[in-house]
Amino acid sequence: MPPMTSFPGSPTMLAPDRPPPLAGYKLQQPTESDAVAALHRVFGAERAAERWGTACRAAGLVPGMVFGAPQLEQVVKALSAQGGATATVARSIEIRMRTYARLASQATLMAGGQR
Amino acid sequence: MIPDPLFDEQRLQEIHDLDLLSSDVDPILQDVAAEAASRLGLPVSLISVVLDEALHVAGMHGPEGLWLAETRGHPVEWSFCATSVRTRDAFVVENAETHPDHHDNPLVTQDGVRCYAGVPLISSRGFVLGNLCVVGLEQRSFSEADVAVLRELADEAVRRIEARRVA
Repeated sequence: MPPMTSFPGSPTMLAPDRPPPLAGYKLQQPTESDAVAALHRVFGAERAAERWGTACRAAGLVPGMVFGAPQLEQVVKALSAQGGATATVARSIEIRMRTYARLASQATLMAGGQR
Repeated sequence: MIPDPLFDEQRLQEIHDLDLLSSDVDPILQDVAAEAASRLGLPVSLISVVLDEALHVAGMHGPEGLWLAETRGHPVEWSFCATSVRTRDAFVVENAETHPDHHDNPLVTQDGVRCYAGVPLISSRGFVLGNLCVVGLEQRSFSEADVAVLRELADEAVRRIEARRVA
């Protein structure tokens, strides 16, 4: 089962399947669950949920219903605007997203070249 | 259990306060990285900032075309530099292919990293921000003098970084 993100008082949705990890790099495409888990490791559950909820609302989205890279990118941008250590965590998530996108693009190009 | 300094909120706050997450590359840090690469005779040098889940590149010297120059970072689990955040000391890998922690690191298996030497960048408030490191594509040994050069340049990098806090 894919990871699930749930927040008190908000709808609980199953995250859509994410692509398999990048071959060789074993890197998963970051999801909302990963971002919330990162905040949790630094701030604990309550402060993480508060920060994520604020960022989601600033991005016009609902916590627990952030799907796909473009939406996640919007929330991470809002998270960064909170400043302090929260902005540092946001930069971490952004780097993981950019690395995944860059290496996935490279893998696609290489696969195309081998056809 | 001792908490992992990677996730220390105060350390992450310090990184933000020192403006180390800027998307603009600092030319002074670029110069320090270039000098480290030159003095140790290796193709790549980084001023890295080790975040909670990723390594951020604050300054870099290296050949054109590296994907790292585009992403300005990579996941922290691939980071050689994270070791120094935990130990607060230099970390040297002379042959990454046989190193117990890094032989299966994608930077080794996919990108050809073979050797690494890094020293911690420690702020005056005592937080390890990241590393000054050099990276090569062939295995090699590092002397104490090599590490001393990196320490000298790391001190210079921290002075430059902290001057921005005062400014």
